[in-house]
Amino acid sequence: MALKQISSNKCFGGLQKVFEHDSVELNCKMKFAVYLPPKAETGKCPALYWLSGLTGTEQNFISKSGYHQAASEHGLVVIAPDTSPCGCNIKGEDESWDFGTGAGFYVDATEDPWKTNYRMYSYITEELPKLINANFPVDPQRTSIFGHSMGGHGALICALKNPGKYKSVSAFAPICNPLLCRWGKKAFSGYLGTDQSKWKAYDATHLVKSYPGSQLDILIDQGKDDQFLLDGQLLPDNFIAACTEKKIPVVFRLQDGYDHSYYFIATFITDHIRHHAKYLNA
Amino acid sequence: MEEESGEELGLDRSTPKDFHFYHMDLYDSEDRLQLFPEENTRRRKEVVQAERANESTGAGDGKAQRDLQEEVEELVHLYGLEDDHELGDEFVENMPRMGVSEYPPYGMKRRDPAREQRDWRLSGEATEAEDLGFGGWGSAGQCQDLREVYRYTHGRASEEYECYVIPEEEDEEEAADVFCVTCKTPIRAFQKVFDEHKEHEVIPLNEALESAKDEIHKNMYKLEKQIIDMENFANHLEEVFITVEENFGKQEQNFESHYNEILETLAQKYEEKIQALGEKKKEKVEALYEQLVSCGENLDTCKELMETIEEMCHEEKVDFIKDAVAMADRLGKFLKTKTDVEISTQPDFEDQTLDFSDVEQLMGSINTIPAPSAPVINPQTPNSATGSSVRVCWSLYSDDTVESYQLSYRPVQDSSPGKDQAEFTMTIKETYCSVTDLVPNTQYEFWVTAHNRAGLSPSSERAVYVTAPSPPIIKTKEIRSCEEAVLICWESGNLNPVDSYTVELTQAESPEASGVTESVVGIPTCESLVQLQPGQSYVIYVRALNTGGPSTRSEPATVHTIGSYFRLNKDTCHPWLTISQDGLTILRSERSTPTKEPPPSDTHFTRCVAVMGNLIPVRGHHYWEVEVDEHLDYTVGVAFEDVPKQEDLGANCLSWCMRHTFASSRHKYEFLHNRTTPDIRITVPPKKIGILLDYENSKLSFFNVELSQHLYTFSCQPHKFVHPCFSLEKPGCLKIRNGISMPKHVTFY
Repeated sequence: MALKQISSNKCFGGLQKVFEHDSVELNCKMKFAVYLPPKAETGKCPALYWLSGLTGTEQNFISKSGYHQAASEHGLVVIAPDTSPCGCNIKGEDESWDFGTGAGFYVDATEDPWKTNYRMYSYITEELPKLINANFPVDPQRTSIFGHSMGGHGALICALKNPGKYKSVSAFAPICNPLLCRWGKKAFSGYLGTDQSKWKAYDATHLVKSYPGSQLDILIDQGKDDQFLLDGQLLPDNFIAACTEKKIPVVFRLQDGYDHSYYFIATFITDHIRHHAKYLNA
Repeated sequence: MEEESGEELGLDRSTPKDFHFYHMDLYDSEDRLQLFPEENTRRRKEVVQAERANESTGAGDGKAQRDLQEEVEELVHLYGLEDDHELGDEFVENMPRMGVSEYPPYGMKRRDPAREQRDWRLSGEATEAEDLGFGGWGSAGQCQDLREVYRYTHGRASEEYECYVIPEEEDEEEAADVFCVTCKTPIRAFQKVFDEHKEHEVIPLNEALESAKDEIHKNMYKLEKQIIDMENFANHLEEVFITVEENFGKQEQNFESHYNEILETLAQKYEEKIQALGEKKKEKVEALYEQLVSCGENLDTCKELMETIEEMCHEEKVDFIKDAVAMADRLGKFLKTKTDVEISTQPDFEDQTLDFSDVEQLMGSINTIPAPSAPVINPQTPNSATGSSVRVCWSLYSDDTVESYQLSYRPVQDSSPGKDQAEFTMTIKETYCSVTDLVPNTQYEFWVTAHNRAGLSPSSERAVYVTAPSPPIIKTKEIRSCEEAVLICWESGNLNPVDSYTVELTQAESPEASGVTESVVGIPTCESLVQLQPGQSYVIYVRALNTGGPSTRSEPATVHTIGSYFRLNKDTCHPWLTISQDGLTILRSERSTPTKEPPPSDTHFTRCVAVMGNLIPVRGHHYWEVEVDEHLDYTVGVAFEDVPKQEDLGANCLSWCMRHTFASSRHKYEFLHNRTTPDIRITVPPKKIGILLDYENSKLSFFNVELSQHLYTFSCQPHKFVHPCFSLEKPGCLKIRNGISMPKHVTFY
């Protein structure tokens, strides 16, 4: 569990750091970024996990989203892990951008050759929190999660599969119903096999239907001009419909003119940080 | 003379009592001039300066004392006490002589150690005198003694050309290091072991010194106080003295003029009497003379008759007879004329009563005074009236004697001058009267005449007094409040205008402390915005004021500065809506609504079935909640007061609203401003909507209260105050909850 600091930069009074460690769950070296707000110098702070989208690493979010100021003001420790194991030398892992490296889809793979390394769900929900709780001034009782695109899917399933574990959840243009989109089908069949009933355990829209009802306030922002929305990869309407039926509170904001990029994320990141701060600092 | 002025200056500084000056001036100054050669004079001045310098750099007590004395002296100068030689000398007569004996050593000490010894002794005596309860003047002198002692013991070191033997220094040479309490003497420590001090209580010398100093300081303080007291007493006596002088002088003049008048009257009477007497005498003498003349004439006639008769008797018979008959006739005639021998006038006085009544009246008037002159009625003292009474005051000329006054009044009526208002008159002994049973906020004209046994004075000028107003009536239903302020309105309660209003606030948290904690005064209109502390309860009263005074308190109104509190403004209400009694529930009934729209209006909504609330015009945070039915079509938000009443809410730049429509089992939520809305989907229909208006951050936010869920935030720049607005697009009911504290989750927005 030894942490190796890769970098540390002062930012809005706090420190943006990157660490490397040997992941037991993933059987490889993993990097993650952690932002320590000024408040962390004097006491424990809530932890907010960010899950990046396809092709992302720990770097995308910390360099492009501009979340630091809001995190600094609200006193949140923000953890941004990588999106998949890397350097595992699995055949075909670098063949496409939407599968393998950079596209772990936050599931625990059951199929060869992925099942040894591609256990991102357990990494995000078990190993990484333990590591963070042990090494940083965070309050384990106050944890929230959010993400973008594939990371939005990850955030939603982590929250929906673990009622009460996360105080709040939010997403930017999440893949809401992977069972029904090409990305999801490709990834799930690769990681989980062809039995589609297993897929439902990692599909937010399906998980909502069996969600036991512990209060969870979900904020989703979606760019109206997002090509993947138009392409049918994200399918937020299905998720909204399920939540409406199950009375899971969602505020879904379709933002006129925005696309799938980090420019879109940067525009609304402050709203999301505040959304989480409201529950984490309540 | 130079020397003397220097000396006076020095003494002025240090002498607390005026009578010291007299002794100096009267007995010493010239002697001194002869006693001291020029050289000494110069030196002495230097010494005085050195001493003074020492004093100012010395203990704070000394400085304070001197300041005090300067003050005292200023007072003395101010009241001219030192110029009053008579008074001063009188005091001195009864004084212990210490002031006199004290002075000369001041100039001579330098050369005469024996004299100095005496001075020490003297001061000792003074202390004793004080202990025995000597009078204030004595203690004042003693105070100077103490200070001089102080000055000589502390200031001497700076005098370079003279040296003195100081008792304290001798003690130090003996190196006494402890103080025997029993013997009250400093001793050396080893003596404690061997000597008679063996059994005695012993304390360190420093400690003894400190306590002795404390004691002295305490005494000095007491003396200072006594000086002040006696100074005040002396000044008071001086005032009494002057008053006595004045009063007696006045009386003297009075007597003089009266007695002069009496004497003049008497002299005049004397003249009159003498003259009358002379005339009477002349009259009598003339009458007597006349009588005497006539008597003489008669006598002559008788004599002549007698002679004629005698001559007849010597005549012959015939002639005799002839003449005798004629004579008899003549004689008969003569004798028939009565000879008046009564004295026509009496030699003594007739009854001459002296009339002294006017003198008596004058004598009497020495002690009685003529009818008083017209009293002077005072203008009304501000704030002296109540709603039903005024206190009228007047004054008399000091020379007048008045037994009683007659106070008359009548209400001032501008409107109907023809109709005379009843006048009221009352008799009063004092020069003031509280006139009761008057009408509130009304002007009355008062005038007064004075009366004594000599008669009635002319009437005073007429003065207009006004009664205080009636208490205002707070419009409790129109009270609006927020965390920081309350807007309170009231009815005047008076027909005539009043000058201003006062709002009084008491924090209701402490009912036993009934005192007014805050007042806002000088409010010209019938409403006031009062700044308050958040989270408190206040009881508010209003008073109306005019020049006569304040009214009694209005009925109280209670205000809670928890959240923002408002009521719906019925003036803005669309005719199809019904507002509940408490002004917080909006009902659009199920009955078939008339198809015809009401005519356009600027005040109330005519197209959208809406109503506005009266939010307090305070920039800050305002939060309220609206209970809605999830299938109801409603619009809630804020709008400017002048939002077009013929347009839908949110259809212009003057309103910001959340609109819910429920159609074909789908909920649609719009956040409308200027006809545009973001595309937002909400999965759980709110049953209670929280609305946060934040002027500071120019935001309007909507929440699902039950879920603590943030729904949407407008960024709006309200350039003026907005009001809550509500509309019902279908029959149903909206219930407003306000006056509640803001939930924590909304503070993030």
